[in-house]
Order: sequence, then C-alpha cells, then structure tokens
Amino acid sequence: MSQIKIVRIHNELLGTYGDQGNAEVLAFRAKFHGITANVVDVTYNDDLPTNGDIYLLGGAEDAAQLLSLEALQRGDNLNILHLAIERGAVILAVCAGFQIIGNRFVANGQEVDGLGLLDVISVPGDKRLVGDIKTTSSILGFELTGFENHMGRTILGPTAQAFGKVITGHGNGDSKYDGAVNGNIFGTYMHGPILARNPEFADLLLTRATGRKYAQITDPLALKYATWRRKVI
Amino acid sequence: MRLKIAVLIAKFAALFSKRILRRSGETISGRVLLALYPRAIAELSKNKKIICISGTNGKTSTTKALVSIISSISKLGTVATSPSGSNLERGAAAALMQKSDFAVLEVDELHLSRVIEEAKPKVVLLLNLTRDQLHRMHEVKRVADRWARSANAAPGTLFVGDVDDPFVAVALNSAAQSKKISFGGRRHQDGAVCPSCGKYLKWVRNNYKCPCGLTNSNPDEIFEAGSAAFRNATMANVVGKYLGAKPIAVDEKSLERSVDQIHKGVKANIRLTKNPASWTEALKSVTGDNAVLIVNAREVDGIDTSWLWDISFSGLSGKRVVVCGERALDIAYRLHVEGIEAEITSSFKDAISKFESGASVQVLAAYTAFHELVNS
Repeated sequence: MSQIKIVRIHNELLGTYGDQGNAEVLAFRAKFHGITANVVDVTYNDDLPTNGDIYLLGGAEDAAQLLSLEALQRGDNLNILHLAIERGAVILAVCAGFQIIGNRFVANGQEVDGLGLLDVISVPGDKRLVGDIKTTSSILGFELTGFENHMGRTILGPTAQAFGKVITGHGNGDSKYDGAVNGNIFGTYMHGPILARNPEFADLLLTRATGRKYAQITDPLALKYATWRRKVI
Repeated sequence: MRLKIAVLIAKFAALFSKRILRRSGETISGRVLLALYPRAIAELSKNKKIICISGTNGKTSTTKALVSIISSISKLGTVATSPSGSNLERGAAAALMQKSDFAVLEVDELHLSRVIEEAKPKVVLLLNLTRDQLHRMHEVKRVADRWARSANAAPGTLFVGDVDDPFVAVALNSAAQSKKISFGGRRHQDGAVCPSCGKYLKWVRNNYKCPCGLTNSNPDEIFEAGSAAFRNATMANVVGKYLGAKPIAVDEKSLERSVDQIHKGVKANIRLTKNPASWTEALKSVTGDNAVLIVNAREVDGIDTSWLWDISFSGLSGKRVVVCGERALDIAYRLHVEGIEAEITSSFKDAISKFESGASVQVLAAYTAFHELVNS
C-alpha cells in the first residue's frame, strides 16, 4: 500500500488540546516510509468516509464531546467504524475522544452511552488531573510521554487491555494505567500531541494500518525531541 | 487594622523594595495591602470610577490605551492604573491605593469575577476569549461561564465587548447593561459550539447565528474589520467616549506589545506571543526574511506546548528561522513537520548572533521571554 487515508474526526470539536497534530505527524512519518498520506477532515455535519485507514479523535470540552458523539451515532457512521475495524483500520482516540469510543461516559453532568468500540467506562473524578505524564507500554516496548488535562476516571472492562503503565502522572485516574487498547483501537489521555512526542508510535500505527513492516527511519530531530522529553519527565 | 495604616505600610514596603532591594516594587504594595486588609479592593473602590479590562489577548496594551484616552481630557480627572501586566488582585490593589478619580484595571480572565464583585466597576471591557494556558484555565467554556455569571450579578456595571467572539457575546447577553461591538464578524478557533446552549454553532462566513438567539448580527455599534490591535484601540475609544473623553487616533504599533532593540548591530523587533490566537496574529506581521521564535513553558506561558500544533506556521516558509527558549525543541519539531527547518540555539543571544550586523529580525517571544528581554 503506497497510499493511506487518515481521517481526522471533528477537528473543530475535538481540537481544543492540540491533538490535531497527530494527523500531521502520521502524514509526515508516512512520507519517510514512502507512503502518500491523505488527511481528510470530517466535520460535524459530514458522514465518515468508509475507506479510512486511520481514524483520529482528539480532546474536547464537554459540550463539544457530546456533539461529536451525537454526530458519530447519526446515520451510518457507527457502522462505518465497525466495518473499518473489521478490515483492520486503526483508531487512535485521545482524552474526550477516548471516552467517546468507550461504553459509557459522563459529560456536563449527563451520563451517556459511548460508541462501545473499547470496553471502558469513564466517570468524572473529584479533581482535575493536569501535568506531564510518562508511561511504558508492553505493546510498544518503549516509554511514552505526553501531557494530561482531564477529570476522567476510566475503568477497563474484561476485553480491554491497559495501553500504558504509568511512571509519572495519573492516566486513567488511578495513577497506575493509562488508556486502553483492543486490537488496532487505541485510547489514551495523552496529549502532546502524543504522536509528536512519540513518533515511533506513529510508525507502529502506520504498520498496523497498512499491514506492512517498515524499516526504521532516521529523523534525528524527532529522535532528539522524543528522547529529551523521556529524560525530563 | 485601619485601611489608612495598611496603605501606609504597603507604600513603605514598595519603597523598601525599590530602594533597598532594587526591585521594581510594583506589585509588592498590593500584596502587602491585601495581606493586611483583605477587603481593601472593595473599600478603595468606593470613591473611584473603576474600569476593568479583561480578555485572553490585549489586556495590557488596551489598558494603557484607555489610560491615555481618559488622561487626554484633564477635566475628567486623574487616572490610576495597574502596574503593566500585573492583572491579579494585587495589581488592582496597587492601582487603587493611588489617589485618583479613575482606576483602569487590567484583570486576569479567571480573577475577573472577584474583582467585579469587590470593585463594582462602572465599566467592564471584554476583549476576547480563546484557548490559552489550558493547564490553568482548563476549558474556554469554564472561563466564559464565570464571566456570564459575573455579568449577571453586576446590574450596575456596563459591559462593553466584541460580540464577534461568541464567548464575549454570552457574557454581554447576561448583563443588565451592555454595549455590543462588532467588526463585521470573524471566525473563532473555539467557536464550533454555542457557548450559550451547547448546540453546534451555525456560521455563515464570518458571522454566527444560533437558534437559541446568540448572534453577532445585532450589535449596538459596528466598525470596519481590522487587526487585533485596531479592534482593541477602537473598543478603548468606545469606553473612553462613554466616560466623556474624545477618541484618539489608533496607533496599532503601540498596541502590539512589541519593542525595538538593537543587539550587536542586529535590529530586533520583539513581539509578545502567548497562545494560538496571538501567534496567528503575530505571524501575519512577519514580513521580513528573518525570524527568531522563543518558546518557554513556565506557568504563565502555559506548561503544556500542545497548542503549538494549533498554529499554522506556513507563512514562515522560505524565511530564515532560528528558535530558542526552554522549549526550542518543541517548536523546532512542530516547524519540521510543517516543512520548515529552523536552526536551534541555546539562548536568545546565540539566536541573534546567527545574523549579520545590520540585519532586521522579527522576534516572536513567549510571555516570560518577552518580559526578560524588555526588562533586561
């Protein structure tokens, strides 16, 4: 596959915490691997494209999170996501996006059903968790850094596996684990954006999305940046 | 303790700080006063006409502009103001301690409610509200809700603001007295959701209209579109006119929070930039071939740098770009992904030394970097 479609879902709603950069980093890293990436922005009123390879959701404020959920439950959108998952597409959902793809969450004091793509539920905690976060993930085999800024307490169900083990910060609220993963569906509380801070994770997502193993790429600045953040957090 | 004694001690503390400790002494008086007399703001506001200015960007420069507008008519009376950039309660207290007829106070967005409650201002000017320091503000909507509650609780205050910003519009709608200003509409990065009802906000080009009634299409006064500096100066004039002053010419340059300095023969125009909205505005002004970008991430800069990804730096493409600051790598990598290769340096001095003597360089500096350069 020399072409890839990256779908940035509801950036106008889920773009408050800088996560839109994940799409840019994916497209940038893809170029190194000889893949042409096409970033498609899907807004609230649009239908999801059926042929996306990577679907991205970012962090948002409560009202925006509820609107995004409503749009994703509209028409054929949820079915499109299910079919995409079946054919091996990747989903990366951050913070509010992570909660949206879970089974249930609370926003603006309202408890709502999520998309049910990840077996997690999220409830608000009593304290906002703000600061640098570092985790280690057995899926990746290296440390991840990011920044968290949320009220969420996320509880994993039996079919979800924790994405990272927390070294610094709070993650899912228990200060033990961050995020959840099931197959190619990844949820996390890490902003940064996460793929800018951890470009090797972008490579993993590209590998998963295309089913191809790529040679390691040399981007000294990316490496320097990622290494430095891992050292200081 | 009596207020008068507290003020005397506070003034003495400022003098001590200036003379003995050689500090600026600008906010120490306010700090001491509030420690000795917590209700000082309320007491000292009683015989003054108070004007509060708040918003994400442009507070300091608009405050200065309004001070000169009121001062230009001497029969209006004397004007006191907060020390430049000191926008918490201590800055307000320091300003109110001075004998004056007017006090023009620059107030931090999250501290505005408390200052309104105590100072009972005659006018509150709301400039804009966009994403900024989210580690501290948490959510834009959270700040907007506070503004709206304060406006609702202050029936004696006139709220003036730019309703092209939906967050300002919500606050003005909650006020008993308001003056809605529009500059013909403009898109807002955080304007996808109606801050009043939570529905998806309908925009037609640069204007929004929500079924719940929130809109920028029925302002009290409409002006031509312009830069952020132009908008702020225009609104300062509207407030000035209400207070009996005459409008003064808009000097956009003086409202930009920029200074010119010469470092080793290199002409540097240094401009304050601190969040996506102010960066976007500042990047439009980078017309030369050379740019230095300084990024820090201390408390007042915002300790998270994710927002660098909200900004398009494509306008810098083809220019010589040098980065420095504590988070030089964050900005360098962000530029790298956008196809702009910056030279990374370890300090502003090193960054400037990359240029030949006689060169002109536009410097966009994070809040803390700007203040260090201006005060050095």
